[in-house]
Amino acid sequence: MDPSLYLDRDTFVHWLDPRTKMFLLLGTFVLAFVFLDPLYLAGVMALVLLFGYLAESLVNLRRIWFILVAIAVVSTVLWALFGSGQTPLFLFVEREPLLYGIAVALRIDITVVAGMIFLSVTRNEEIATGLARLGIPYRFAFAVSTALRLVPTIAATGSTIGQAQRSRGLDLESGNVLERIRNYVPLLVPVFISTIRSTNVFSMALESKGFGAGQKRTFFLRISFGWRDAVALVVFAAILGGAIALRTVGYGGLEGFGG
Amino acid sequence: MKEVFTMWRHTQMVVLVALSAAIYAAVLIPFKGFPIIPGAIEIRPANVFPFVFSLLFGPAGAWGAAIGNLIGDFFGTLTVGSIGGFIGNFFLGLLPYKLWGAFFRRGNMEPNPNTAKKLAVYVAIVVIVSVVCAAIIAWFVALLELFPFTPVLILIVSNNIIPGIVLGPILLIALYPRVKRFGLLWTEIMEPEEVSAPRFQTLGNVLVWVGGIGALVAGLLIEAGGFGGGVTVGIALIPFLLLVVAGAFLLGGREQVEAAEEMMAVEEGPEARTS
Repeated sequence: MDPSLYLDRDTFVHWLDPRTKMFLLLGTFVLAFVFLDPLYLAGVMALVLLFGYLAESLVNLRRIWFILVAIAVVSTVLWALFGSGQTPLFLFVEREPLLYGIAVALRIDITVVAGMIFLSVTRNEEIATGLARLGIPYRFAFAVSTALRLVPTIAATGSTIGQAQRSRGLDLESGNVLERIRNYVPLLVPVFISTIRSTNVFSMALESKGFGAGQKRTFFLRISFGWRDAVALVVFAAILGGAIALRTVGYGGLEGFGG
Repeated sequence: MKEVFTMWRHTQMVVLVALSAAIYAAVLIPFKGFPIIPGAIEIRPANVFPFVFSLLFGPAGAWGAAIGNLIGDFFGTLTVGSIGGFIGNFFLGLLPYKLWGAFFRRGNMEPNPNTAKKLAVYVAIVVIVSVVCAAIIAWFVALLELFPFTPVLILIVSNNIIPGIVLGPILLIALYPRVKRFGLLWTEIMEPEEVSAPRFQTLGNVLVWVGGIGALVAGLLIEAGGFGGGVTVGIALIPFLLLVVAGAFLLGGREQVEAAEEMMAVEEGPEARTS
């Protein structure tokens, strides 16, 4: 199984500079927090989905649909129980906290879908290079990109070790919660050791190739900010500005919610 | 806290950050399918790793926990709440090694919970650090009014404490001798002058406890008493979280590096440190 969400497609979203994609992602997080009215948030969600459709990345929704549905249910129930409002609906449930729960569910779902689209159109190498070109120290960006690259390898090692341990009689499914957690020890120790033991060789390999030797780094992957990036950022800034202006003049709020 | 920045000079520490993050994420991801509060919290036996990473790899464990949690979010739950998760997990990996030194005088400070005292200290550290991490994340999501403070706090505390106490001692006893043999303990890689010296260590320890427990109690009381919603909780908890940060600054860590050097000199003979 490949845990990565990246989809190799040829769309204008894929062509964008990774820094532009990062700004669009952060901007979408802000946009999700501008409105509180579920109707307006549904509009924001529609925009995000349209963007995902243009990026040909909505196929990944199949991998996270259960999270989106569960967020909707749990958020609505939690806020209906914990929040207070002014308009009784049924039993102890009031209209405002129920609407607030739906709004929060939409907010979180928007950020999850935006994150999914970002990861569907951006390779790990682009994320690392983008971070470094944004001024994040190279060693930090290197650690992030190396970790991202190693996750599938370690997951595969864990799966192999799990099969080996099961063939020797390891039972992960029996016992109470504490016993089940304790059953993971024969898995976690070998996964940890098999990964960590490569640290010294890995470090020597890096240093033999001049890791950290020079002050100014060059990158194999070259990224550049072009006209497409400028257009995307200007269009998004207009949408975000319009949304903030709408909210400022009184649209898209939710009256009567008491927290 | 300067070791949090100076550690990046050492290639081994950079690699340890990457490997710690990858291990943490690789064990987190299979459990993404078992959410408790979807988009925020899932069942996490992997949460034992920040404690283990911290005590073995020091600041590299802190960065590894933060980056590993963020990468875990990359696989389906990347939201604005991931920022709070990054900070909370950073402290989950930062405080254990810093607090460890505050409980022991010079001598055997090895983070190997193979004695009753060390085990008791380990359990105490798991409890307070779990509370601090949960308070930070619950504070962040409450401030953004994503989720109420109370359920998020309780779930994260239990999600950290159970694997930390059930799995942590076993893993540390099993892993410590091996990691030491590989020469990968942070106290062996870093130099004393690269690590902050403790100042008023006991006061730092007390501040972390007062800040963590204070944030937990204040948040629960404000929400249970109906004194206000997420923003009220968010503002009220800031002083307590600042106490934790101040405590972390006072705790130091250099004494552990020096103790490890002394231990090594004793074990390897007088010529070991000069060669």
